[in-house]
Amino acid sequence: MATTALDHAAPRYRTRSALYDWLTTTDHKKIGIMYVINSFIFFFIGGLLALGVRAELAQPGLQFMDESTYNQLFTMHASAMLFLFVIPMLAGFGNYAVPLMIGAPDMAFPRINALSFWMLPLGGILICSGFLVGGGAAQSGWTEYPPLSGAAFNPGSGTDLWLMAVTLIGTSSILGAVNFIATIFKMRAPGMTLFRMPIMVWTMLVTSVLVLLATPVLTSGLMMLFIDRNYGGGFFDPASGGVVVLWQNIFWFYSHPAVYIMILPAMGIISEVLPVFSRKPLFGYKAFIFATAAIGALGFSVWAHHMFTTGQVFLPFFSLMTFLIAVPTGVKMFNWIATMYKGQLTFQTPLIYSLGFLTMFLIGGINGAFHAAVPVDFALHDTYYVVAHIHYVLFGGSVFAVFAGIFYWFPKMTGRMLNETLGKVQFVLLFIGFNLTFFPMHQLGLSGMPRRIADYSSSAGWTDLNLVATIGGFIIAIGLLPFLFNVFISLRNGKPAGDDPWEANTLEWATTSPPPPYNFDHLPEIRSERPVFDARHGAATGH
Amino acid sequence: MTADSQALTPVEHSPVSGLAHDARGGISNPVLGMLLFLVSEVMFFAGLFAAYFNVRAAAPEWPPAGYQDFLHVLPLAGPATAILVLSSFTCQFAVWAIRRDDRAGFVRNLTVTLALGIVFLIIQGTDYIVLWTEGLTLDSGIYGTTFYTMTGFHGAHVLGGVIMLSVVLYRGMVGQFSARHHDAVEAASLYWHFVDVVWIALFTTLYLLPGTQGGG
Amino acid sequence: MTTPRRSGPSPALVLLISAVATAAVFLGILVLQVPAGTPAADYPSQISDQLANVWASFFPPVATTEQGRRTHDLYTLVFIIAAFVFILVEGLIVFAVVRYRRKPTDTELPPQIHGNNALEILWTAIPTAIVALLFVLSWQTLNVVDAREASPGEVRIQATAARFQWTFQYISSDDNQTVVYDQLTPEMVVPAGRTVHLALYSPDVIHAFYVPQFLFKRDVVPGKLNVFDFNVDPAMVPPGPEGATFKGQCAELCGAQHWAMQFTVRALEPKEFDAWLQAQIDAQSAKPSPAASGAPTGVVLELSAKEIAYDKTTLEAPADEPFAIKFSNNDAGVTHNVAIRDASGTEAFTGEIFPGVDSRTYAVPALPAGSYTFLCTVHPNMTGTLTVK
Repeated sequence: MATTALDHAAPRYRTRSALYDWLTTTDHKKIGIMYVINSFIFFFIGGLLALGVRAELAQPGLQFMDESTYNQLFTMHASAMLFLFVIPMLAGFGNYAVPLMIGAPDMAFPRINALSFWMLPLGGILICSGFLVGGGAAQSGWTEYPPLSGAAFNPGSGTDLWLMAVTLIGTSSILGAVNFIATIFKMRAPGMTLFRMPIMVWTMLVTSVLVLLATPVLTSGLMMLFIDRNYGGGFFDPASGGVVVLWQNIFWFYSHPAVYIMILPAMGIISEVLPVFSRKPLFGYKAFIFATAAIGALGFSVWAHHMFTTGQVFLPFFSLMTFLIAVPTGVKMFNWIATMYKGQLTFQTPLIYSLGFLTMFLIGGINGAFHAAVPVDFALHDTYYVVAHIHYVLFGGSVFAVFAGIFYWFPKMTGRMLNETLGKVQFVLLFIGFNLTFFPMHQLGLSGMPRRIADYSSSAGWTDLNLVATIGGFIIAIGLLPFLFNVFISLRNGKPAGDDPWEANTLEWATTSPPPPYNFDHLPEIRSERPVFDARHGAATGH
Repeated sequence: MTADSQALTPVEHSPVSGLAHDARGGISNPVLGMLLFLVSEVMFFAGLFAAYFNVRAAAPEWPPAGYQDFLHVLPLAGPATAILVLSSFTCQFAVWAIRRDDRAGFVRNLTVTLALGIVFLIIQGTDYIVLWTEGLTLDSGIYGTTFYTMTGFHGAHVLGGVIMLSVVLYRGMVGQFSARHHDAVEAASLYWHFVDVVWIALFTTLYLLPGTQGGG
Repeated sequence: MTTPRRSGPSPALVLLISAVATAAVFLGILVLQVPAGTPAADYPSQISDQLANVWASFFPPVATTEQGRRTHDLYTLVFIIAAFVFILVEGLIVFAVVRYRRKPTDTELPPQIHGNNALEILWTAIPTAIVALLFVLSWQTLNVVDAREASPGEVRIQATAARFQWTFQYISSDDNQTVVYDQLTPEMVVPAGRTVHLALYSPDVIHAFYVPQFLFKRDVVPGKLNVFDFNVDPAMVPPGPEGATFKGQCAELCGAQHWAMQFTVRALEPKEFDAWLQAQIDAQSAKPSPAASGAPTGVVLELSAKEIAYDKTTLEAPADEPFAIKFSNNDAGVTHNVAIRDASGTEAFTGEIFPGVDSRTYAVPALPAGSYTFLCTVHPNMTGTLTVK
C-alpha cells in the first residue's frame, strides 16, 4: 500500500466554506460523490414507497390505503428507482471514475457537469411534489400509457409534474452523455489508447451513446403527452386521429435501451472488481468490448418485446432480436467466470457483492429469456413473473454491483476503508431478503397474479407467497441499516486506506486517497489496460 | 511508484490539451460537444417525425377531411424556407471570415444571419396567426396537433439559435474572436446549420409530400 | 507484495452451511403445512404431495385450450434449457469460488491469462445456436396460437372491457354481425371443442383480456379491435349444465379498480352451450320492460353505488319475511347489481344487472335468520354484510 506525498509546490485551493465549495464545485470527484449521495436518497425514498406497496399486498383486503394511493406508490417507486437512483447512481460512479481512469484532470465540460447534477435534486423535488397536489402524484405506472395517463382519466397535475420532472432528468442525462463521450475521446493521458482503457470506461462510453440516442426520443414522447393532456392534442386519442400504441412505441424505444443504460456501467464495475480480487487480468478484454457494443446496438432493436400482447407489432423480428441479445450477455458471463478461473480469490466485500451479482443477474437473464418466446410472453406479460425478472436484473444485478462499487471506491473517495464485517452482514441480509421477496414472484406470475393490482381475492391462492414477499422486503430494509451505520462510522474512524488498498490495476489507484483536485501529480507509464499493476510488478504485461 | 515517472509530461501531450484548441489536432472540445448535442437534437426531432408518419399512415386519408386546404407553400412558408437557407450561407461566410481573421467580415455576415433568422421567426409567427384564425389549431385533430408541435419545437430551436448568435455576435463585436480562438463561432454555426436542415426536412414533409386518399 | 490475509471461513463451508440451512428451513415449512392431527405414517406422502405442488409452481397451470397446451409445451422446453444453463453456469461459479481461493501459500501471482479466442468463438457460437433453435420453436408455436381461420360452427363473441367491468356480446355468425345476446354478468359462456372467435373492444382505456388457464392474454386497445381464436379442450369440460369455469382478470392497469375487473369463462359441452344460449335469447325477448319498481313489500332498504363502491357496508333485514332493496346505481355507464349469498356461499338472491345512472327496487324473498353477504356480481370488491334477524 504505497502512499504518495503531494509535491510541496502543489496548489492548495482555499474556499470560503465547505458548503459553498460543494454547492459551486465543478470538480468531477465532488460532483460524482454528490450524484451518489442524491441517488441514495432516492433509493431510500423509492424503497419506502416499495415497503408501502408490500405492506398493502401482504394480505387480501385494503388495509392501509385506497386504490389511488396504491397506484401512486408503485408508480412513484419505479420512477424514483429508475430515473433518480439507478441511472444517476451509475452516472455518478462514471463521473468519479472515468477521468481518473484515463489519467485526465477533470471532465471535458466541468460546468455542464455541475449543471447536469443539480438538475437531479430539482427533478426529484418536482416529481415528488405530485404527492402534494390535488389528485395525487402520477399513478398510471412508470410507463404512463395513455389513454389512462391522459387528461380525461387523470386530470390532476401529478402526471404533468411527472412529465416535467422526467424531461428535466432526461436532459441532465443527455448533457452527461455529451460530457462523457467528449472526455473519453479527447482527454486520455499519453499511452492510454482506446484499447487500453478500463472496461468501466468502455461501458460508460457505450452507455453514453445509448443515452444520447435514446433519451431525446423519450423527451419527444413526453412533450406529446403533455400537449395531449394540456392543449387538446390528439397524438394518442383515436377520436382525433391519433394512435394509442404510438406512445408505447416511442416510450419503449427509449426505455429498452434504458435498461442497458442501467446495467452496462454495473457490468463495468464488476469487470473492474473481479480481476483485482482474482489477481488476474480480465479474461477476454477485447471480447468484452465487442460484447458491450453488441448489447448497445442490439438494444435498439428489441423495444417492441414490451408490446407483444398489443396485437400491433411484428412479432418474429422482435422475438429473434430479443433472443440474440442473450448471446453477448452470455459471453460476458463466461468471461467473468474465466477471470476467476485459476485465480487467487480473496473474499472481501467488493468481491462478495460481485459474486452475488453474478448469480442474481444469471437468474434475471434466464427468466427474461422466457419472455422472448412470444407465446410464453402471452401468458406471462403483465404478471408478477415480469416483476421478478426486472428486480433480479435491476436489484440483483445493478444494485449489488452498486454496492460492490461503493465498497471498492469508498476508500479512494474518502481515504478510509469501510468496515468489512458490517459489509458482510449487510450482504447476507440483502441476499436473503432479496430472494425471499422476489423469487416467489415467479410462482405468483405463473399462477396468474397480474401486476399493478392494489388487492386480490383471498380465494386466489396468492396470500402465502405475498406474505413471504413482504417479509423479504422488510428484511431488505433492515439490511440497509448496517450500511448506513457503516458509512457513518467509517467516515469518522475507518482505517486509513492509502493510495492502493486493494492492489488494484487502474490509474485511479496511482494517486492519493482522496485524489488532489487536479487528480495526478504524475502518471505511471501506460502500456496496457493495467498500468498500476504493471508499475507494481515492474514490467509491462501487455498489449 | 516507479522512479522514472517523476518528470511532468510535456505540454504538447498534457491531459488538458483537449481544451480549446487541440494541440494534437482534431476538433476542439467545444465543437465536439456541440456535435454530440446536435446528435441528441436530431433524435428528438426523429421522435416527432416518427409520430407524424405513424399517425399519417394510420389515417384513412391525409390531410384528413376538412383540412385539405390549409398548408400552402406561398405566400409565407416558401419564402421563409428560402430566407432560412440563405441565412445558413451567410452564417458559413461568417465562419470563413473569422477563420482568416477578417473580423469585420465576420461581424457583417453574422449580423445578416441574425437578421434573417429573426425575419424567419416573424414569418412563422404570422403564418401561425393566419392559420389559427382560419381554423387550424392545436386541437384540430391530429393534423393540427402534429403541425404545430413540429413547427413549434423547430421555432423554439430557431429562437434558441437566435439568442446564441446574438451572444456570439456581441462577443465578436467586442473583439473576443480571432483566427486562432473562435470555437464558440464554430459551435454556434453548427447549431444554426442543424436548425436549417431540420426545417428543410419539416418543410418537405409537411408542405411538399403528396397526400393520400383512402389509404391507411 | 502483500502476504495473503489470515483465512476466514472457507467458501466451501459457507456455501455448504447455507445450502443445508436453506433446505432445512424449506423442509420445515413443508412440515408445518401438514394439517394438524395427521398420523406420522402419512407425513412422507403429504410431504411428497407438497413437493409435487412446489414443482408444479414452477410451471403455468394446466392449459385448458388447445393453443394453451402448445404454449405450455414451449414453456417446458424453455424451462429445460434454462435449468440446464443455470446449473452449468452457476456450477462453474461455485466451482471457481470454492477451488480458486487464495491460500496462505499463494505469494506469487497466478498465471496471467489474458484470453483465449477459441473459447470466445465457442461460447458465442453455441449460445447463438441454442437461441436460434428456441426462436424457431417459439415461432412455430406462435403460428398455432395466433392462427385465425373461419371454421364451421365458430362462435363469435365481442368482449367489452370498460372501467371496471367486462360484458360479453354474442354475435350472429352471418355477415350482418348483429348482437343476438348481451351478457351483463361477467361470465363468458363458451362451447368446448368449437372455435371461439373473440373480438376485444374498449370504449375508454387500454385493458387486457387474461385467462391464466388459457396461458394467454391480449390487450384491449381503444381504436383497434384485437381479435383472436381459441378452442377449449373438451377433455377439460365435464358434461352437464355446469361445465368448467376458468377465472379471468384484466391485466393492463386501467385505473383505481383495475384489480377488481374480474370475469370468468365457463365452458360447456356444445349441446349444453346451444341450449344455454337459446335460453338466454328467449329470456331476453320474453323479459318485460324493466318497470321502475314493483310495489315494495315490507321493509325497504336503501343502497346506492358510486365509484365502484356501495355507500353502506352493513344492512339489516327482518327474518322470514320478504323485503325490498331500493338500489341506485350512480356510476354512469357502469353496470352494477345487488346479490345476496348465505354463509355457505350459496346465492340466495340475484338482482338484475343494469347500467347507471338508474335505479331498481329489488323484491327479495324471505330469508331465514343469519348473517349474509351482499355483493355486486360484476365487481367482486363491492361487498357488505346483511344481518337478517
